[in-house]
Amino acid sequence: MSRPTVRSLGRRLSWWLALQTLIGLGTVCAAVYAVAAMSLSNRQAESLTQKQALIRHVLAEAEADRDLGELKHRLDDFLLGHEDLTLTLQAGADVPLYRSSTVESALAKRVSTFEVPFAWQGARSIRATLTLDARSDAQLLQRLAITLVGAAAVGAALVSFGGFRLVRRGLAPVRDLVEQTRHLAADSLRQRLDGSRQPEELQPLVEQFNALLQRLNQAYEQLEGFNADVAHELCTPLTTLISATELALRKTRGVEEMREVLGSNLEELRRLAGIVHDMLFLSHADRGATARREPTASLASLAATVVEYHEAAFEEASLKVEIVGDAACEVDVALVRRALSNLVGNATRYATPASAVRIEISEIGAGQMRIAVVNQGQAIASEQIPRLFDRFYRGDSARRDADAHHGLGLAIVAAIARMHGGRPVAQSEGGITSIGMTLVAERCTPTTRPCTP
Amino acid sequence: MKLLVVEDEVKLAEYLRKGLTESGYVVDVAHDGIDGLHLAMEGNYDLLVLDSMLPGIDGLALLAALRRSKHTPVLMLTARVHVDDRVRGLQGGADDYLTKPFAFTELTARIQVLLRRAAPSQSASEPTLLRIADLEVDLLRRKAVRAGQRLDLTAKEFSLLALLMRRQGEVLSRTELAAQVWDMNYDSETNVVEVAIRRLRNKFDAPFEQVLLHTVRGMGYVLEERQP
Repeated sequence: MSRPTVRSLGRRLSWWLALQTLIGLGTVCAAVYAVAAMSLSNRQAESLTQKQALIRHVLAEAEADRDLGELKHRLDDFLLGHEDLTLTLQAGADVPLYRSSTVESALAKRVSTFEVPFAWQGARSIRATLTLDARSDAQLLQRLAITLVGAAAVGAALVSFGGFRLVRRGLAPVRDLVEQTRHLAADSLRQRLDGSRQPEELQPLVEQFNALLQRLNQAYEQLEGFNADVAHELCTPLTTLISATELALRKTRGVEEMREVLGSNLEELRRLAGIVHDMLFLSHADRGATARREPTASLASLAATVVEYHEAAFEEASLKVEIVGDAACEVDVALVRRALSNLVGNATRYATPASAVRIEISEIGAGQMRIAVVNQGQAIASEQIPRLFDRFYRGDSARRDADAHHGLGLAIVAAIARMHGGRPVAQSEGGITSIGMTLVAERCTPTTRPCTP
Repeated sequence: MKLLVVEDEVKLAEYLRKGLTESGYVVDVAHDGIDGLHLAMEGNYDLLVLDSMLPGIDGLALLAALRRSKHTPVLMLTARVHVDDRVRGLQGGADDYLTKPFAFTELTARIQVLLRRAAPSQSASEPTLLRIADLEVDLLRRKAVRAGQRLDLTAKEFSLLALLMRRQGEVLSRTELAAQVWDMNYDSETNVVEVAIRRLRNKFDAPFEQVLLHTVRGMGYVLEERQP
């Protein structure tokens, strides 16, 4: 059994209090007992010393008188008031010279033996044995010990009981919290713990827990909304697919017509696959995937490859492109390229024909790089700006070529920014729109060489 | 060329068999890892198309068992898009990797690349002068001539045309074109490939009577002579 048997905080505290009280009171009682025992023993010793002096005195007088009868009489008189004393006088080895009539106690006694010079029948001294009966003192000590042990035990019990009550009272807010959390359910994440009745030690815990609930609730709502969006986004192409296929199968049709239907279905299916792929990418990013950084000598030349890819679209819209600024950085090349491609694609779609699109690469202070694509065109309303990077958000629902762009492009840009420790940025003023992202720059050296593809 | 497809989803396995047979391969199919491994060890296949999630023995275990004795090229299929998944597959000895959902054209393209890599002698001497109808593309001098007129193409347009010429008669998807010409290896939301094709078309096809570059709806583009 390595597991502690007492698991409850209240019980454990009470036990410790009881034990400590017992040790404390025990120490006090032991001290009291020791002092009492010592003073009694000192008193006995003192009393014996006094009696010893008296007996010496009596014996000295008797030696002068040479009257043994008188000595016995005197000793008897002396011992009459002291029932707790026994006296034996012995001159030689044989019969005692004198023995008091009091009975010796076998249990508690204190004996003092001393020689008194006494010329008597050839002996030069008398050995006196004085015995003090200490029974009453022993009884007193015994009673004191019993009282003290009892008092310590009862005191400890009282203190531990009081402590137990106090601890219970002190832990009541915790029990209240437990009761509150018991009523929290996954579908009621909007509820919060009430910390008003809690002591200040528990306040940070309550606050942290509530903050956690808040975050959970947000994530939960986002997820719910996202699922609804996904269902909605997938429903439209699925409906198209199902109805087109049903329609094709309803009558016997020519091969060409069937090819047409299959082709259009395939396009629809590709879109579905694209949405699913992008959503997997986003959920992967949400779960905390980070960019796999590799050194690139030039962000500008990376941007140039993207521009090259979009070249035909630029020429189609007679757009000019310039890349401003440059840096050598460690980034996830494939991801940054993908983000840039989405940004450039957006800019091409919304740029005023025959204007210029600018890709800006700049350092924005403390180890942060900013990559943005700037185009001239219709301004984006300021209330739409924060929502630009939401999944499936489309500025106007009836946007042109909405079926070719399922509205995850900027969400992916935002995810890629987060994977690089940055965030998406957007602003639109006076017909100039700039959308991009910041990245935490790792081993970046900004270079300022103008670069145009 | 003999291929083995190891795929537990019956419907998909059947489509793969049909499609690959139509593309001129001899195809065997196994529906679980145990049969798959047995066939792969016994049969003499030029290439394996292997699903990574299989009943019996899973794809990676089958691959490991196979690699102990054989070097047959393996193309893995997976529904999981985790990068580490891909890395594990490639470290486990797969030669290439394709995530579901994939386009059939992409599958055949990857299979061709792997087979070519396994037998390099056949593709050693690529012609540098390509012709179709009255169109001529010189890969060395990087110039294209149609009906005696020099075509004015950008560098990427030339690469695009050269690719279509080299693979004439084959339908090339947008994804593949983006990867081969621009080195863009993800499905972007943009329609830049269509725009590039349209512009190329205006330069080399539209001014002439005979149309060479055809769009196959939903599939991509193919360069071929068709009888009017």
